[in-house]
Amino acid sequence: MLVKDSVNKQTLQKLKEKLDKGLMPQWAVTDKDIYELERRQIFGKTWQFLGHESELKEPGSYVTRWIASDPVLLVKTNSGEIKAYLNSCTHRGAHLCTADFGKKKTFTCPYHGWSFNLEGELVGVVSGKKVYGEKMIKDEWGLRPIPKVGMYQGLIFASLDHQAMPLEDYLGDMKWYLDILLGRSDGGMEVRGVPQRWTAQANWKMTQENFASDPYHVQTNHRSTVELGISPNDPNFASYGHQIVLGNGHGLSIMTSATGKSPYKYQTLPESMWPMFERNLSPEQNEIFSNATVFVGGMFPNLAFDSPVHGMEGEMCNYLNLRVWRPLGPDKVEIWCWFLIDKAAPEEYKEEAYKAYVGSFGPSGTLEQDDTEVWARIIQVSDALMMEDKELSYNNVNNYLLGEDVFEPVENFPGPGVAYPSTYTDNLARSIQKRWFELISKGLLDEEEDSQ
Amino acid sequence: MSMELQFQNTQVNSELQHEITQFLYHEAYLLDHHMYQEWHDLLTDDIIYRMPLRVTTERRDGSNIVDDMTYFEETKKSLETRVKRLYTNSAWVEDPRTRQRHYITNIMVKPGANSDEYNVRSYFYFKRSRASEHQLEEIIGEREDIIRKVDGQWKIAARTIIPDQAVLTVMNLSMFL
Repeated sequence: MLVKDSVNKQTLQKLKEKLDKGLMPQWAVTDKDIYELERRQIFGKTWQFLGHESELKEPGSYVTRWIASDPVLLVKTNSGEIKAYLNSCTHRGAHLCTADFGKKKTFTCPYHGWSFNLEGELVGVVSGKKVYGEKMIKDEWGLRPIPKVGMYQGLIFASLDHQAMPLEDYLGDMKWYLDILLGRSDGGMEVRGVPQRWTAQANWKMTQENFASDPYHVQTNHRSTVELGISPNDPNFASYGHQIVLGNGHGLSIMTSATGKSPYKYQTLPESMWPMFERNLSPEQNEIFSNATVFVGGMFPNLAFDSPVHGMEGEMCNYLNLRVWRPLGPDKVEIWCWFLIDKAAPEEYKEEAYKAYVGSFGPSGTLEQDDTEVWARIIQVSDALMMEDKELSYNNVNNYLLGEDVFEPVENFPGPGVAYPSTYTDNLARSIQKRWFELISKGLLDEEEDSQ
Repeated sequence: MSMELQFQNTQVNSELQHEITQFLYHEAYLLDHHMYQEWHDLLTDDIIYRMPLRVTTERRDGSNIVDDMTYFEETKKSLETRVKRLYTNSAWVEDPRTRQRHYITNIMVKPGANSDEYNVRSYFYFKRSRASEHQLEEIIGEREDIIRKVDGQWKIAARTIIPDQAVLTVMNLSMFL
């Protein structure tokens, strides 16, 4: 029996034993001590998505973002470089810039008037000589840079960890699929407007799993959209295709149809764009892209993406939706949802795709509304005492056995990663949990080995 | 001329003000009582129904409304899809039903571009109770409508919903505002 007292070595060992069997004790979803470990060892260490390069159009453009509880000021400098700083004045620590976005040459703190340029340097101190004399060395009081910043296919990431591995190594084989989603068109993708933001009662692990690895929920949770013809009309549509497990807790599902080919070649993108795709992508990437209906997946820990085929008025369109689940505690997330479209797509198509997105995803989305209901239902019960003590077939370990002993990885899948011949499998969910556990238990479970 | 100034300069008679106010109260009643089909009938065939994003910007950067991204970008047909969804057996977010109230206030009416149309601004305060939760969800803001008389009936020909929150504190927008 797994009885939880506090998160110590013994509890972690038992947690590991359960995870290895495809079982997730439900208490671990919203446990406060686990959350504190996640905050420091996951959000403090991993690469975190901050935005897309198209959001920073010219020198001086800035956006403000968050890495869990850390405020980030992301700017484009005069030389066109993208830099990220802790969004906090170095004098008395006040939140420096509270606007969501804008354009500036200097950021001035409203408390005492210290100001910083785009390079993060302290350039102005009110009554500086008078009150600080000659001793103050301004160079020592610049904005604190976020330790690591990196970009791949226009996606800007940062890490609070000086020791973080290079971004490209972190993304690993996911890059091959990001090339399809973001690198297929000349000029890349562009963000429309700003991200939608709202809060939900949810745990970030469950929302990430919901998008990254759980097409099994689509059939029931989103049945209303199948009934209405917003989603493909085969109620099993979400199961056809492959689930692909990549390293580091990343992965995706590529949905096709019962025939193995999507009824929508290149996801409905106009035929005039196909030669461009063929030129920009490898034959293997084109094979996958041209036959896919939906790409849906995630990059560990809390960035998910969805590139579907949807339409609210009969006309089906494709777009790319990126989302960050910013944790505000073990039972609350702030959702950031971006709409992206190929810069090279015809304007009319972009407009239709945008309407299809608003109809399907975001807080008003006919699909997403029902997701929010079940996310809330998980966290509402996870604090129960009986969640701390649960065995298989008594229910308070969650079942991650879907597809086990049913699906073997396929040979000769055109893309990298381990591909399973159905999206209805928990292989990816388990690999996300494995990565999660490695990080939260780091230095705790292997304590004795470390001290030797 | 900005809409604000036009409101100051133009008055409508109190009978018309009363009629349109009652129409908006009636609309709120239909929504709060899950009569979505009846609500949909209040919309003109050419309705444009939108909800732009509110953002936080510094004054020097201009408007704090982003029109380029919306929470709703609807036509009569797409709204019909949303309405129909609420009558399916699998719109889980509204089954069990939430309990909702639309409080509509500060209604200002002025003549519109056509003789049968009026530009109507109102404030809304929306509250929602879900399941056994103690905390009510809420969203506030204002609406800019074009209300048109069609065959003797008032209809909504356009609505722009402007929320005041840059980060919505409702867990979804399963409601119409």
